[in-house]
Amino acid sequence: MLTHRSNRWGWLWLLAVAVAPMSVAATASPGDSATVGDRLPPLPSGLPAWLDNTNRNHIFYKRGRYNFDVYNIDALARDLNAVAVGHALAYEDLVTGKAATLETKTYERIDWVLKNPPKLMPDEAALSPTFGRKYGVLEQVFDWTHVLHAQTIDVLASKKLSEAEKDKEIERLWKFYFESVPYAVTPLPLNMDYLYSQPYSQAFRKTYPRVNGLFWGYHWLQNAMYDTLYRVPLEWQRKSYAVVGERYHQTELRRTDRRFMPMFGELSPVFAGRYPHIANAFDNLHMLHDMVNDILATPGLTERQKDEQVKRAIWLVSAEAHRGEKPGDRSANPVEDRGHDHRFFAGMPGMGMMKGASAEAVPALMWMDDMGWMSMSDCHHCTMPLWEGKDEWRNSVVLADGKGMRVRCVLCARDYSAETKGKAILHLATENPERPLVLIADEQGAFQSSLPEAVFIEQESSHAGCEEWSRAFTSRAAFEAHVQAHPELKGAKALSFTEWSEKQGAKPDTYVKPKGPVENPYEDPIPAPTSVAPIPSAPSMAANPRHRK
Amino acid sequence: MKGLLLLGAAITTAVAGPAHAVDHNNIDAHRPLRFDDAETIAFGELALESGFNFGWPRRRPLGLGLDAEAIYGFARNSHVSFGFDPSIGGRAGSSDTGFSFGDVSLGLQHNFNRELLKKPAFSLRTDAYFPTGRNSQGTAFRVRGIMSKTVHQYNRLNLNLDLNAHPGAPRGERPFNPGVILGYSGPIGYPRRFDTTGLAQLAVQAGPDRGSGPVVTLGVGLRKQITVRSVLDIGIEADVAGFRGAPRDNVRFIIGYSVGLPTR
Repeated sequence: MLTHRSNRWGWLWLLAVAVAPMSVAATASPGDSATVGDRLPPLPSGLPAWLDNTNRNHIFYKRGRYNFDVYNIDALARDLNAVAVGHALAYEDLVTGKAATLETKTYERIDWVLKNPPKLMPDEAALSPTFGRKYGVLEQVFDWTHVLHAQTIDVLASKKLSEAEKDKEIERLWKFYFESVPYAVTPLPLNMDYLYSQPYSQAFRKTYPRVNGLFWGYHWLQNAMYDTLYRVPLEWQRKSYAVVGERYHQTELRRTDRRFMPMFGELSPVFAGRYPHIANAFDNLHMLHDMVNDILATPGLTERQKDEQVKRAIWLVSAEAHRGEKPGDRSANPVEDRGHDHRFFAGMPGMGMMKGASAEAVPALMWMDDMGWMSMSDCHHCTMPLWEGKDEWRNSVVLADGKGMRVRCVLCARDYSAETKGKAILHLATENPERPLVLIADEQGAFQSSLPEAVFIEQESSHAGCEEWSRAFTSRAAFEAHVQAHPELKGAKALSFTEWSEKQGAKPDTYVKPKGPVENPYEDPIPAPTSVAPIPSAPSMAANPRHRK
Repeated sequence: MKGLLLLGAAITTAVAGPAHAVDHNNIDAHRPLRFDDAETIAFGELALESGFNFGWPRRRPLGLGLDAEAIYGFARNSHVSFGFDPSIGGRAGSSDTGFSFGDVSLGLQHNFNRELLKKPAFSLRTDAYFPTGRNSQGTAFRVRGIMSKTVHQYNRLNLNLDLNAHPGAPRGERPFNPGVILGYSGPIGYPRRFDTTGLAQLAVQAGPDRGSGPVVTLGVGLRKQITVRSVLDIGIEADVAGFRGAPRDNVRFIIGYSVGLPTR
């Protein structure tokens, strides 16, 4: 009897799996299979010859003693190796007639690799030979920008370079990336809304939510790893990656409810602020991944239409298509020429405009999942303006609950981390730009510190002046120098790390909840995932003792 | 013999420093089998490839050889190579068993196109062999046309067509010597392991002496990525047939190591 029931439900399950992708694709307004082919934008005329090249054009890494130093953080290296496999397996199955089992067999094969990541980086081209033969130029674009990803991470993980040498080498890597080939991705902030408004947009995420979740999980990791490593000593890079890797495996890879792809500035705001051109190039690359996924997942397109749209997508994000333009520029004809919109959020030159974020109405606001509208130039805890320009290093950053948030003072960092669920990594600014303090918080709110001898001041007052009364110092001498320079702090107590970490501030008096032009620009509901296996849920906020407010 | 081992050890030591990626699935001749695939190494990449071969020629004593080659990607889709192949002991086609430094070679390979859905990858390789070996006479040349095509999604066939020319060949040897090799390569362990490529070959080459018939050679091998920048290869070849007195080896074992070096 039990067997009968199982079989019956098994048939229903098979039916659901078979029908769901078709029905999702058929009802998706931007990706409607009946009309997408008719609404496809034409290929621009006069495209450069490199878009049709039939050469292999492999170019070797830039020489550097840091190459492959990502293996100093072995867990990260292995996870990145598995990302390469995940990308390649999905693409290969998409173009070899196995799309119908992408959410089941392909997902399971990728999942095995993600859980058992390879020790060495595989050659993606060897794993997706059909995809490579079909979309060779696209593969060149992907590979070349992945090299930039790999080498910048090697630099950050290097034990051989000083922080100043790392900064210089990252700029050299960018130059090498940008000048060596014609198919570099543009460093301009591109308008995400435009690139997500193609006739085929969202076809992949709606048809294959679990595999799309994996792709966006990879991109979450590839973004979050930068601030995890930037200006952090190797020992703490390893400790931090233990937290980030756990979050990646347990939550971020399994999410199917994201409204938009993980953005670089959202996860590594410090690196994005320092290298906005690199942050933009990676976001644009990830967007190209999404556009290609959508094109390949849209039913009813001919092979020729797919070829043309992939070529067009490459062109849209290429540096050559935007030559002579600069960040902040916008086309004089924004309705007909929406592609040339390179404005960015105030305070975030490393992030293009997002859906619903009209520059005219609310230029500084961005809508984020679970958090609503936020100003990217204000502290996410007290909404006071963040440090900018040469003082940008004075902001602290909290990576918690899968997001990276910049805050104005160390109290805001500590209390913001306490308000979020799960583990957190805090990068606290000290008096020395070269020596930020790294804290790792566990689920109970207990901190580990990279500088146990650090000293704190916390004379709580209005957050309008929190940069003076809430600070961290690398030494007692630095604390005393600060107090001496600020007579109003005379008599302030030097708090040890333990004393400081046990405190909790009042709700900031300056906090204002930003209001956007609409309640939620991503109102289009995400359909229920067609998953066939239980998806691990995020830890419950109510059960989290660190959730104090 | 001791000198050859020391030379091999010196090369291995020299290439053990900081280096870059060499992929197990990029196939070069002698690592471990005779065929090349159509792909050149990346522009700016420098690789050192070396290996020992232990041969057992028919009616000759055992022999030991070393193949060493440096390859540099001097332009996109093109590389140059520089190699030498010292040996000692028995060699097919020679009664001499003394140490020979072997001929120094200089090669150039250009890849005309990457593999497309309906078009194999094509490449041309030319080599010159200078007479630095014991009893060598005159410069020899080889032109090799290479075609690589994927079959059954992950497997690859590599066809090598050779024309060897030796204008100064001693009396009794062929001045022109054609050959053909069909090589196979495919991943092993996929989709759970991504670090090993299996190889096989069928080669037919005209015998080196005037009047001798062709030699048919079979071989199998393995290339395994052992670090992010190095590959270990092992193989076995046997000249399974030789016609009209063509000299041949009973069996030949090959073990090699390839590593990438930093350049640019």
